[in-house]
Amino acid sequence: MGIACVAFIGPQNNPMYLRSIDPASDDLYMKLHYVVHCSLDAVEEKVLLKRGPGDSQDAYLGLLYPTEDYKVYGYLTNTHVKIIVLLDDEGTVKDEAVMRVFRRLHGLYVDTASNPFHKFGLPLSSPRFDGAVDGIVSIYRGAGASQGGFMT
Amino acid sequence: MAGIPPAPSPGVVGKKPARRCAEVCLELLCAESVRLFHDKQSGPAAAAALEAVGYRVGQQLAERYTRDKPRLGDTLEIIKFVCKDFWLALFKKQVDNLKTNHRGVYVLQDNGFRWLQRLSPPAPGADPGREEAARQLALSYLHLPCGIVRGALCHLGVTCTVEADPKQMPSCTFTIRIMA
Repeated sequence: MGIACVAFIGPQNNPMYLRSIDPASDDLYMKLHYVVHCSLDAVEEKVLLKRGPGDSQDAYLGLLYPTEDYKVYGYLTNTHVKIIVLLDDEGTVKDEAVMRVFRRLHGLYVDTASNPFHKFGLPLSSPRFDGAVDGIVSIYRGAGASQGGFMT
Repeated sequence: MAGIPPAPSPGVVGKKPARRCAEVCLELLCAESVRLFHDKQSGPAAAAALEAVGYRVGQQLAERYTRDKPRLGDTLEIIKFVCKDFWLALFKKQVDNLKTNHRGVYVLQDNGFRWLQRLSPPAPGADPGREEAARQLALSYLHLPCGIVRGALCHLGVTCTVEADPKQMPSCTFTIRIMA
């Protein structure tokens, strides 16, 4: 229940970070890579759709598309970095909660990119980053649990 | 004064005021970095190295300053963002004049470029040799900001070159040429 996977994709559609929150087998990782990869098309579609004059030009893209196991949510920064979050919540999902998670993930990415040793385009591999992502994900999980879902 | 943080008010308990740095530290750092790079390498190589440093910084600042902004659409919106919010955050003022030939060339004019304020302009009526020397010195200080602007623009999706021209110090123009 809650966030199953967090992914950051760079401006050239290069995967920078993909992490399954629960420990995952290689097969599951392949599946997650596939789902995230497909979601990039959905991101582009959403952006094109939102180009109308009345639409809010926001970074949060909302639900991109539902698969059989997950709901895929997207977020596009001004620097063309895409943040994809896979939820396996069965009940209704609160948009504000997901938006909050995205904002914090964006903030984390900005702080990480501000590191003088950071190289753009390369994958993000840092235990501190992993820990921070865990922290953000656990906040969402906490919020979801308080809405009365079953926790197995 | 940008330097001294305000004393915490008695009502606020436990929240530390944001840490700030005196502006003179930034000015000294810029001046020293110009000197350092020019000592270690000869002219064009030092310029390229400073520009490369600026490029990286520009990319990182672009990430930070576009963070909570609505989506920037086309090239003109991105350039306007650089002229207003980005310039304001970096140089404490906005660009004074923006001109374009609508064919990929934008000229930004700043009538009081902050990072040149400490360079004494040549006395009016001085001989051209001295003016040229002052201009060359100013150019060496402009590689870093040019790199920052280029890094920010490229990171936002606008591939371009940025050249600076210190016409009348401290007034300075930056010419952005979009690469197709």
